[in-house]
Amino acid sequence: MIYVKRMLSFVMFSVVLAALLLAASLVFYPKNNMSEFGMEEAQANGILGEKQNTIDVLVLGDSESYCSITPMQIWEETGYTAYVCGTSAQPLNYSLVMLHRAFEKQKPKIVILETNAIYRKISSGQALKNKLTNYFSIFQYHNRWKSLGWHDFFGKIEFTWTDDYKGYKYNTTVSPSINTDYMKQTETIATIPTLNVQYVHKIKKYCDDNGSQLVLLSTPSTVNWNYARHNGIQNLASEIGCSYIDLNLMNDQIQIDWSMDTRDKGDHLNYSGAVKVTHFISEYLKETGLLTDHRVDPEYAKWNDSFKKYEFVVGKVRAKK
Amino acid sequence: MFSLSSYFSIEYLVILLPISVGLYAVLPQKLRRMSLLLSSYVFFWAVSGKLIAYLLLSTLSIHHIGIWLSSIQGDCDRLMESSPKANRKEIKNRYLKRQRLVVTFAVALHIGVLLVLKYTPFFTSNLNTLFRLLNLPLSLTIPSFVLPIGISFYTMQAVAYIFDVYRRKIPADRNLLRLALFMGFFPQIMEGPICRYSETAEQLWAAPMLRYQNLTFGLQRILFGLMKKIVIADRLNLLIKNIFTGYESYDGFVIAVAAVCYTIQLYMDFSGAMDLVIGSGQIFGMKLPENFQRPFFSKTISEFWKRWHITLGAWFKDYIFYPLSMSKPLKKLTARARKRLGNHFGPLLSGAIALFCVWLCNGLWHGAGWKYIFFGMYHFALILAGSIVEPLVVQVTKKLHIQRSSLPYRCIQIVRTAILVCIGELFFRAHGLRAGLTMFKRIFTHFSLDAVQDRSIFTVGMDKHDCLIISIALILIFIISVLKERNVPIRERIASKNAVVRFAAYYALILSIVIFGAYGTGYVPVDPIYAGF
Repeated sequence: MIYVKRMLSFVMFSVVLAALLLAASLVFYPKNNMSEFGMEEAQANGILGEKQNTIDVLVLGDSESYCSITPMQIWEETGYTAYVCGTSAQPLNYSLVMLHRAFEKQKPKIVILETNAIYRKISSGQALKNKLTNYFSIFQYHNRWKSLGWHDFFGKIEFTWTDDYKGYKYNTTVSPSINTDYMKQTETIATIPTLNVQYVHKIKKYCDDNGSQLVLLSTPSTVNWNYARHNGIQNLASEIGCSYIDLNLMNDQIQIDWSMDTRDKGDHLNYSGAVKVTHFISEYLKETGLLTDHRVDPEYAKWNDSFKKYEFVVGKVRAKK
Repeated sequence: MFSLSSYFSIEYLVILLPISVGLYAVLPQKLRRMSLLLSSYVFFWAVSGKLIAYLLLSTLSIHHIGIWLSSIQGDCDRLMESSPKANRKEIKNRYLKRQRLVVTFAVALHIGVLLVLKYTPFFTSNLNTLFRLLNLPLSLTIPSFVLPIGISFYTMQAVAYIFDVYRRKIPADRNLLRLALFMGFFPQIMEGPICRYSETAEQLWAAPMLRYQNLTFGLQRILFGLMKKIVIADRLNLLIKNIFTGYESYDGFVIAVAAVCYTIQLYMDFSGAMDLVIGSGQIFGMKLPENFQRPFFSKTISEFWKRWHITLGAWFKDYIFYPLSMSKPLKKLTARARKRLGNHFGPLLSGAIALFCVWLCNGLWHGAGWKYIFFGMYHFALILAGSIVEPLVVQVTKKLHIQRSSLPYRCIQIVRTAILVCIGELFFRAHGLRAGLTMFKRIFTHFSLDAVQDRSIFTVGMDKHDCLIISIALILIFIISVLKERNVPIRERIASKNAVVRFAAYYALILSIVIFGAYGTGYVPVDPIYAGF
């Protein structure tokens, strides 16, 4: 009898604790998706402020993704709407979180996963932390106790903000790479951590279940990429049955100039590199025949407004050149 | 396989510890002890991987050496029994010599491994400096080794075991698995406490049944430790790091604040880890020795070291101080000095020599660097000075009619001791001895309260909110410490309350850790400080 009583008290304790954490999560979760309201990774979370079912292409991944793909250029070239939900050093478990979050309001037909994230090792602790954070956002936003106001206790959650660059991080710094011969052919296959493979399977399944097409994309990087990694991703893509594009092996088409197109010695692309990669992506998206040009659709008028702002900044750079 | 960095990692708290407890709870007694050993080796492997070989070798060697010593002692006893009285002394000395050889071999082996792994880079770089000073065209390559976790801790346990067998305090353990569990018990392998075989080996091997009270008390203690570490120690980290790194930019007051903050951080970090360690042990029904006893209530430095890192101090006392003090040369010296210097100062001379060795070892134990040696010598000087001036202080206070047991006098003593400790910790944390000396000098030469007046002190790494939370947490810990000092059984009192009160207290503690903990975005995880020793 005493065991039953203790077990019951343990269950009760856990349930009340979970309820308290949930209540605290509601209070601490930012009530708007702007960074001023405490939203973390506001640029990537700008997708939450997009009008329902207006995003055609979703990009996931780490810094390689938001340095290489500029959605406003895709809009200019094709009229397709893309959003980069890539974040710095994004592990795959967080890519999955962002995928779920994006699909709450959107139904993108194509999901692009930048492959550098697939080789980023996820510790069991990190995976556990992320899982916990999914249920109880207090673990992510606890530090907001310093700025809590009445609005946080009683206000509604309203995501009103979106990024005019749609997740792209604009950078024009030039720091050349001398390691241009980084894709030496080899039979070696770089091993992908087992946990990461499981996450890619989960991402693929989620895309399949929601009628989206998953594309694995390796953007050019002399620091992070090599042939062994290419082989690893190629095998994984065949295993899960999805398209794989390795731009590192397609420089005859992309024409990346490593003396001009990188901001940090080949680690990430700068704006001029991103323009080349994005142009290729635009052409690829056109070829899929899955998407519609929205440029003249009044529902997408705000995209034209964002494009004007984007063009105002990047146009100046282009004019200088 | 998961990887572990500390007892505060989510892998330990949410994976390893619960699985170990679950396994322990469902297994029969004989297998429970095995599950503890298995968990211990999984823990060690998760942190140090293949370096587990060092722990295994150490365990195997003390097992063998213990039996070896025991067999020499057995032979000696048998021979003495069958020999005439006149020969017994000679036999005893002969066998004692043999035992000493074995002990020397065992100590050399263990301390040797520790010296090579931990101190070779320090000694090599100092030799290179010496060669440069002597203009010798020599330069040695500075090696670097990866240390297995807890090597400084389990080596001391191993040496203590050998000495205790040699001194016949304990019989040599023929059960290798029991010895292995004593050496590697996972809650204490990384940061201590440094356990003695007689304290823990039997209870670990007994592997008692999991009890509800142990479980709840253990979990409470873990929560308390988490609060100390995550809410206080880690929140202080940025300020400390900024000031100790760029001390040239800060005035004396800010440096003094950093020294105090570091002392608090070190205490909260280490005692928090001990709460977690002892709490983890308590869940399994094990009573591990305490390492802290409210050290900041100490009235003298000597008392401070009886309350701070207690098991280390006790180890040095039992295995360095006493053997040295009781050695023939120092005994002779004491006898001579007593005649010339009297009963107070006479024994002090040989005591000082033994104390010097203790504090040199203590300094070096904390790390391979001159600042650690200085740290040891600083405390040696303070303790020695305390002993020397004690008769004078007694006389002066008597003449001035000052009650030494009065509260104001005790408070002054406590504050003085705390200030002296903070100064020591300033050198301990500084980036090298030279930086420590410069920082200490700066406290006086560049003293100014400008940083408080223009509030720039709140931009160094902690804002007003951080200060407020730390202050509240420290006040709470102070109240608990006062109650403990007065032997108030706080936990038992909480346990005797009804479920609503108990649960409310636990929820408050858990939520305060979750909300006010320094973790996540904007914070760098801080490894437990003592795990690095």
